[in-house]
Amino acid sequence: MPPLIELRNVTKKYGGISAVENVSFTLEKGEIHALVGENGAGKSTLTKMIAGVTKPTSGEMFVDGKLTSYATPAEALRNGVNMVFQETSLVPSMTVAQNLYLGDEKYFNRLRGLYIAAQQFFQSLNFNVDPWAQVATLGAAKKQMVEIARAVRHNARVIIFDEPTATLTPEEKNYFFALLKRLKARGVSVVFISHALEEALDISDRITILRDGEHVITDKTANFDRDSVIRAMVGRTLSQELYRERTTRRRPGRRVLSVQNLSMGKIVRNSSFTIYAGQVTGMFGLIGSGRTETAKIIAGVIKRNFFHGGEVRFNGKSVRYRVPRPAVIDGIVYVTEDRKIEGFFETMSIAENLFMGELASAHSKGFIVQMSDMQSLADEWTKRLDIKAINSEAKVIELSGGNQQKVVIAKGLAQKPKLVIFDEPTRGVDVGAIAEIHALINRLADEGLAVVVISSYLPEILNLSDRILVCQKGRIVEEFSPMKVSKEEIMYASVH
Amino acid sequence: MIAFLKNALDAWRGVGEHAVTVPPMDGALSPNQIIEEAPGILEIPAPDNLVALAGRILFSSGPEVHELQLQGAAPSSKIVQRFEHDVSALATSVAGVLAVGLDDGSLRIFGGKHDGMVRKQVAKLDIRCPGALQFVDEDTLLVAIGSRTNPRSGWKRDLMERNTSGSVWRMNLADGRDECLGENLGFPSGLVPLGNGEVVVSEAWKNRIVRLGGPGKVTAELQDVTGYPGAMSPAAGGGYWLAVFAPRSQLIEFILRERDYRTCMMAEVDESQWIAPTLEPTRTFLEPLQGGALKHLGILKPWAPTRSFGLVVRLDADFQPLFSMHSRADGRRHGITSCLEAGDRLLVTSRGGNLIISLPTQDPNGE
Repeated sequence: MPPLIELRNVTKKYGGISAVENVSFTLEKGEIHALVGENGAGKSTLTKMIAGVTKPTSGEMFVDGKLTSYATPAEALRNGVNMVFQETSLVPSMTVAQNLYLGDEKYFNRLRGLYIAAQQFFQSLNFNVDPWAQVATLGAAKKQMVEIARAVRHNARVIIFDEPTATLTPEEKNYFFALLKRLKARGVSVVFISHALEEALDISDRITILRDGEHVITDKTANFDRDSVIRAMVGRTLSQELYRERTTRRRPGRRVLSVQNLSMGKIVRNSSFTIYAGQVTGMFGLIGSGRTETAKIIAGVIKRNFFHGGEVRFNGKSVRYRVPRPAVIDGIVYVTEDRKIEGFFETMSIAENLFMGELASAHSKGFIVQMSDMQSLADEWTKRLDIKAINSEAKVIELSGGNQQKVVIAKGLAQKPKLVIFDEPTRGVDVGAIAEIHALINRLADEGLAVVVISSYLPEILNLSDRILVCQKGRIVEEFSPMKVSKEEIMYASVH
Repeated sequence: MIAFLKNALDAWRGVGEHAVTVPPMDGALSPNQIIEEAPGILEIPAPDNLVALAGRILFSSGPEVHELQLQGAAPSSKIVQRFEHDVSALATSVAGVLAVGLDDGSLRIFGGKHDGMVRKQVAKLDIRCPGALQFVDEDTLLVAIGSRTNPRSGWKRDLMERNTSGSVWRMNLADGRDECLGENLGFPSGLVPLGNGEVVVSEAWKNRIVRLGGPGKVTAELQDVTGYPGAMSPAAGGGYWLAVFAPRSQLIEFILRERDYRTCMMAEVDESQWIAPTLEPTRTFLEPLQGGALKHLGILKPWAPTRSFGLVVRLDADFQPLFSMHSRADGRRHGITSCLEAGDRLLVTSRGGNLIISLPTQDPNGE
């Protein structure tokens, strides 16, 4: 019996550069197939060819043993191949239920029935999403849930998930994995792209590893362990290097930030904590615990309560930012968790994006833009952070996730901050880039900057932080030393 | 004009300088129970003002100056001097001179070439509240005057009156020429002379540690301390120990903004029942409980805010906190008023616990 989908020697080139080179891939019926590789390894390109988003430059695709080529994603969808993208493709101005049934509307729709059906459908998936909510008001995790639900609803034969769990809480991940198993039992084939290797090892039947656009290995998951996957991905073992146990930690420097009784609606509730120079302060909490909102208030992205919203003291001075620019000028930089929406202008070049950061900073020369300045800034930061691109004129959208993240970080660091808040700095980033970003964060703290790292990934928090703050229901509830705490204790504090 | 409008707007919204907030105890001030669990070495009423004098350890207890005797099976003390008023400050010089500040506003010198000297004024001003003393050399004594209107024992009233009438003086015992180093200070309670002639002062009511570098030259070293900073003493290996004699709380910060309420309270309510910081948990039914059920930063926070507390902070050479030792709201060893490093131990006086306690000098986190 032929495989459900088979790619034979496919190659995809962009401007003469191979994103995927001579790769063969098979997907069996009722199989969960993990596709693993560093950013830029070609995973997304490969799956986009399957889903009809792009066409291979050379090579063939067989579906049910027949030579096939999908001209559009709609055609692939009609043939039962559905892709859930990393970048959600929802309509922000429509409600969740409207998005769920988008394209399947009838001439006369009974809205109440639509919403009830949507609610029942979400309940069947154990997804806690309000069908009446406008998509623009949802967080990244909930948008991802809607996206997944939409794919499941189309009764696809093949569902391709590109980083589906990056924004989900541990509980939501469990529901998602249970859902994958149910889909598998129904004979649906799943291609699962993830940087979380444990997830790939846990859930998949087979793993295919790509490196630099080339196929490295495909084998049963039972024949892999974490180290062998990483070795195949990057050609070296990074596991120990990335998530080793801490034996020392940096001493606190001067108090840079003192947050006292900060409040914003029901999301940030009477939160108090201190950030010191020369240290990495890790902030852990489940999605919805108010970590991101707290960081955004500090950086002036959103506002705290008008009355009795608490106090933020930056270097001893009481501050209340209405917009981010004064915060940037004072030396506070927030590196967003949602780089695609808030981090960069995707159609602009690396140089232009970096210069945007420079323009907002205290040392900006104002409206007079010298192209040579922009170019030298781009050259400096692409070199310092090892941003891999054809040149600094390359558009950010053309870069891999890790390099996009480096652009966002470089944009922030170009502003010469005193306090940097990294919100999920390694989300959707491959292990090689994670190691580089971790090294950068440590270097910043060693240089005396106050660094905050918000992360949902416990090994990352334990590895990077000199002190760990746990956020729950809008306030900081615990502080731990990374040397004296276990993952279980942190998780317990974040839940109870 | 804009500043006035902003101030009025802030007062209406309860933000900025009008925010009733207190910095959290985290980082170097992370809570522990070290003071509560450490061995108590001597029970004695209201111990205070630990100093070292030629290999001896002296401290005050009410109107008496005692010598702490650590030799023998059980530590004990013997009275060295007894006065008619409570002792408010002690200082010793390398040459073995003892300076005593009393609650009646007088300073007395024992030993050395100024033996028997009594001073009640500095530059024709009544001393009234000698809050801290420190010898620079045998002829020069630094004097921190806590308040112009209240004695040291009236510190609570001074806080409730929101006075900032404290000053620091360099007193020349030989020729009587006194130099003012800083005025309008919020109850200066600790002194550290620096080698370059500058003096670092803990200002209790302004919750900060400042460096006085000459007339009008005040530089903040540590601001927004989470309690009322008191005595400071040098630590072996560089840096200092800071005794924080009471915590700040939102309730007290709120009371400090309510002038009419405070006036009424001071006029009509017994001082022991004021909503004000205290050095000891009084445990009467008239006082709100100090233990409650709100968990914050790993600590069971009181539903009624803490009014007494025990806290010693290890500062580095730049007066930044490195680590701290605590007796929490549910403990008894509150009101840490002085500290002195003796060998590998840190001795502290707990006025709330009526106890001298021996603490380790190492970081409790083992760093």
